[in-house]
Amino acid sequence: MTRISGKYLAKRIVVSYLTLLVIMSLLFVLLRSMPGSFITSMISSGMTAEQIARIRETWGLNEPLWRQYLNFMINYQTGNFGRSPTYNTQVWDLMIRRMPRTLVLFGSTFIIGFIVGPLVGMYLGWWRGSRKDKSIFSTSLLLYSMPSFWISWLFIWVFNYELDLLPSAYMFTQFPEFQWTAFTVMRDVLYHIALPIMSLTFIGWVGSMLIMRPTMNQVTDEGYVFLARAKGLSERTVMVKHAARNALIPVATGAVVSLAFLIDGSVIVENVFNWPGMGQIIVSSVLNRDFPVAQATFFMLAVLVVVMRLLTDVIYTYLDPRIKFGEGE
Amino acid sequence: MATQQGDSGTDGGSVRRRWEPRIERLKRGWDRYTEHRIGVVGLVILVVFTLWSIIPGVFAPHSTEWIAYIGEPPIESRLTAEQVRSLPHPPAFGDPFFAPLGTNANGNGILSLLIYSAKNAMYIGLAAGLLSSLVGVPLGLISGFYGDTWIDEAIQRFVDIMYGLPFLPFLIVLVAIRGITTTNIIIGIAVTSWLNNCITVRGETLSLKERSYVESAKVAGASDTRIIFRHIMPNVLPISFVFLAQDAAGAVIAQASLAYLGLADFTANSWGIMLENIKSQGYIFDAWWWLLPPGLALMLMAASFYFIGFSMEDVTNPQR
Repeated sequence: MTRISGKYLAKRIVVSYLTLLVIMSLLFVLLRSMPGSFITSMISSGMTAEQIARIRETWGLNEPLWRQYLNFMINYQTGNFGRSPTYNTQVWDLMIRRMPRTLVLFGSTFIIGFIVGPLVGMYLGWWRGSRKDKSIFSTSLLLYSMPSFWISWLFIWVFNYELDLLPSAYMFTQFPEFQWTAFTVMRDVLYHIALPIMSLTFIGWVGSMLIMRPTMNQVTDEGYVFLARAKGLSERTVMVKHAARNALIPVATGAVVSLAFLIDGSVIVENVFNWPGMGQIIVSSVLNRDFPVAQATFFMLAVLVVVMRLLTDVIYTYLDPRIKFGEGE
Repeated sequence: MATQQGDSGTDGGSVRRRWEPRIERLKRGWDRYTEHRIGVVGLVILVVFTLWSIIPGVFAPHSTEWIAYIGEPPIESRLTAEQVRSLPHPPAFGDPFFAPLGTNANGNGILSLLIYSAKNAMYIGLAAGLLSSLVGVPLGLISGFYGDTWIDEAIQRFVDIMYGLPFLPFLIVLVAIRGITTTNIIIGIAVTSWLNNCITVRGETLSLKERSYVESAKVAGASDTRIIFRHIMPNVLPISFVFLAQDAAGAVIAQASLAYLGLADFTANSWGIMLENIKSQGYIFDAWWWLLPPGLALMLMAASFYFIGFSMEDVTNPQR
């Protein structure tokens, strides 16, 4: 069970935590160096200097920058994300409300992409150079080159505007004629999430395919593949059971890279489809200089990426018994 | 790793003797490259876009200031109410005016805008791709060469940190800090996209530095800098070229996404801005001649970079 040493794991966790701290500091500096501040919108021309000072006081802007920084770092350790000036709620509540919605969109895309991508990559890599490989590969590269907002528009155009099959925005029907029960809510959400997921996966699966294809091609020359063939196993069994399993290892590491790609995609797609998730507020909070919300969304996404990296490292050792961590590279 | 070692001109022979094998190799590489149809297609697309960006006037039927019904500036008359209502106008060939891809809501010809915008995408793609390679490749080389030392550790932790910042939102912050100009968008993309180059080059370098020729160079007394740049770098250049192409494609798409979010230099012509205009003016579903061409152009530009990159990878892949 324990192929991974406890010491190594502990070290990795500490490093991940430190990475997060540095990311937060970097965020603080970057967001504060943007021109403008979130209280600009609260100040109207008729206010006296005293009123403005009081607003600055309320939001803690009168304190020196290093104190603001310390407050920020300490508050985040205790899960205190502060209040949002534009949404006028606790940031934590906002996160709790929005995070699941993004995770639903994100998770389903991730799973579909990581089933379709490696499968296609497996076939293409196995028959690399064949006619089928060439045509499917070039088509998928074309898909990969599409701007995600544009393909979303095309989907909306076809499935919403022309065929009127699927809704093009929001998460729920705005003025429903049906009763809200668990079943209808589920159905309604599924109905609304269909187009965003289609748009995201349409492009997103290619990433893992691109990793799978060359590694699959490499393992075709390995000794154990010859051995499996020599044993008289069918081509299919050799491909799926012997070759593909080994080729999956780099795909697992590549998952983090695709995760970053997916985050970008979902930021855009959430904006196109008015999906009320994190991607929507991360853009608007940056543009509105809503620092508490921007910090929190960046922080949550950073946690997601850092935790995923840690997880893939652990999964890695189970996929490939040759790798032993904690003994250098 | 693909190119053979031993031709680095250490003997200092005549120029001819030094260059002949390289030209020979280039020829062989070109022959292998042209075996890949997608590589050739990518190259053709890229050549067309390059021509568009260098001499747009030859291809475009009008200038970007041309307005339907009225014509080229200087503009003397104004559009009638009925003419304004007919905009955006579907493709027209001579009657009432010549605009093969129709016009946008302001009456500018879509085809002309499309052709004049190629320069912007080309510039951003190549500049951002080159910049991120210039950052990523040297860092990857250094990190790999000094693998398992504090230098490697420091660079890798820095990469980890950068990975934790989501690309597009981070790009928005960077662009917001420095102001929305094309140059700043390029810098922003470069700052955020060198990570993959760095990691891949590091991996290659880690395996390359164990090769015997590096050992012998070390024994011969070559300095670290010389080994890195003279002996290892030529072997990672093919793979970094692949990443340059991918970064260029990513940059083109990223710029369009920024434009979609309203972060673009709206004084310039770009495909992303054309798409942002159709959204903000509300014609997405009414003007296919305006919606499709910029998206297709973006797709083809990015795809041509990918096509070239992956064909290059095949050419340089020794296992074949």
